[in-house]
Amino acid sequence: MSGAYWQPEIETMAPAALRELQAARLRETIARAMQSPFYGECYGRLGLAPESIRTVDDVRRLPFTTKEDLRGHYPYGFLTVPPQETVRLHCSSGTTGNPTVIFHDRHDLDSWANLVARSMYCAGVRDSDVFQNICGYGLFTGGLGFQYGAEKLGALTIPAGAGNSRRQIKLMQDFGTSAIHAIPSYLPRLFDEFQALGLHPAEDTKLRIILTGAEPHSEETRQRLQEMFRCKVFNSFGLSEMNGPGVAFECDCRNGLHLWEDCFILEIVDPETLEPMPDGERGELVLTTLDRRAMPILRYRTRDLTSILPGPCPCGRTHRRIDRITGRSDDMFIVKGCNVFPIQVEKILMKIPEIGSDWLIVLDTVGDNDELLLKVEISPAHFTGDMEALERVRRRIIHEVRDEVLVSPHVQLLEPGALPKSEGKAQRVQDLRKKS
Amino acid sequence: MAHQVSVFMENKPGRLERITEILSGGGVNIRAMTLATSSGGWGVLNLLVDRPQQAKDALTAGGFAAALREIVVVQMPDAPGSLGRIVGLLAKSGLNIENAYGTVLREGQGAILVIDVDRTAEAGTLLRTSGVTTLEDDAVYRL
Repeated sequence: MSGAYWQPEIETMAPAALRELQAARLRETIARAMQSPFYGECYGRLGLAPESIRTVDDVRRLPFTTKEDLRGHYPYGFLTVPPQETVRLHCSSGTTGNPTVIFHDRHDLDSWANLVARSMYCAGVRDSDVFQNICGYGLFTGGLGFQYGAEKLGALTIPAGAGNSRRQIKLMQDFGTSAIHAIPSYLPRLFDEFQALGLHPAEDTKLRIILTGAEPHSEETRQRLQEMFRCKVFNSFGLSEMNGPGVAFECDCRNGLHLWEDCFILEIVDPETLEPMPDGERGELVLTTLDRRAMPILRYRTRDLTSILPGPCPCGRTHRRIDRITGRSDDMFIVKGCNVFPIQVEKILMKIPEIGSDWLIVLDTVGDNDELLLKVEISPAHFTGDMEALERVRRRIIHEVRDEVLVSPHVQLLEPGALPKSEGKAQRVQDLRKKS
Repeated sequence: MAHQVSVFMENKPGRLERITEILSGGGVNIRAMTLATSSGGWGVLNLLVDRPQQAKDALTAGGFAAALREIVVVQMPDAPGSLGRIVGLLAKSGLNIENAYGTVLREGQGAILVIDVDRTAEAGTLLRTSGVTTLEDDAVYRL
């Protein structure tokens, strides 16, 4: 493989032909979904016939599917086949109530692996690369999802798993790792370990591509990671309900993520009215699987907020691009009457070199008032011993956050490494407020 | 030019102890120190040590944010008015003192004053030409 595309005929398909393909696959998906207890009952009640679907826009006639639906029909309510015909399941942590579980048959796994391979190829990974997957295996889809995709692509794949930075670096050096995948909150810790060993990834490894995702992060974070590692960092999007990684991925332009429309129907809706949003306007991403057999899901409300980037991409791919996820409709918090997304705070912090890459928002009740406390670590590389400079940084954060979210934060400067580190996704908001 | 080591420190129990542990573990001897605290629960600890580079490296390896800062070190008679004369000279030239701390040497040898000032080189020249004894870096570290 040496061309620009993994599947040129699909990735550059004319938009009209792509819509035709989607409509045909939507009809097949509805017919198949009706074999599951959940959709059989739901669509049967509505008298919905697959052949009545003419264009892809007819998807709007279908009701939405929510996470609560998945949980409420745990574990087998969405299966179109007997469980013994499936070969893998992944499920969410399910800290409250039933987890959401997704089953795959052989076809589903193969289709998913192909989407991940296509995504990695789109970011420039080739079969000559050595790919190290630095994330949790097991139920988390980032592990096996990237493993199968990278193997399908033909890259030598190291299933390194999460954590143990020193071993990660040894593997990278010993086997000539040229591409890695890790969540954005882990990457600065990996870099710190390089520094502690007196090494730099750009000089002491062959690393040239970093794939990241699974946590919403800002463009400023990407810039910071690119400067840190001195290589290209690509954003990806996926969720376990839609397989996991490989739903949408950045190409070399790194301006929006191509959402693979041969396998998903992309809609952006107003989270309140559920009406479609025009291109370029932010709303909730709604997805329909078009190539999943064991457990199709239609019009799934992802809770992720993004917009469709209008216009074609210079890379030549015709699958439309979504903007980076700016938050989830359920990670927004309200403090002093203002709606705040953690990513609004992140993009301010990541522009300030004196501040490290870890941070935490603590919401607390002080007296009768809710307070927003922002805990940030200072960066050892930019510390000069100048107290006045640190005081200016603190005031800058207060002003910029207040201008952005309209709430004046308290800012606490911490020593490097003072914030608790998690193995999985970073926790960015701690709500200690008294519930009235 | 002599250097002090400046360390960012959260104002909570055990941090100063941790810093001194790291330094003694690295064979670094502390000559003088001062802690400047902010109202925000953090501060900067300034240390005059015998081996500043080793001290900075050990603290960085121990997870602290540490930096070397240029300083002017002057020797002055242990007598009334000495300090006033020095800060007066700097003030007249518009040189702003960020921080200063002193320590008394062995009996009869006078005292030294560590000055963290903007435009260190200029401050050193000014003091020397005004007849104040400044110490070279190796003399400072051998104190």
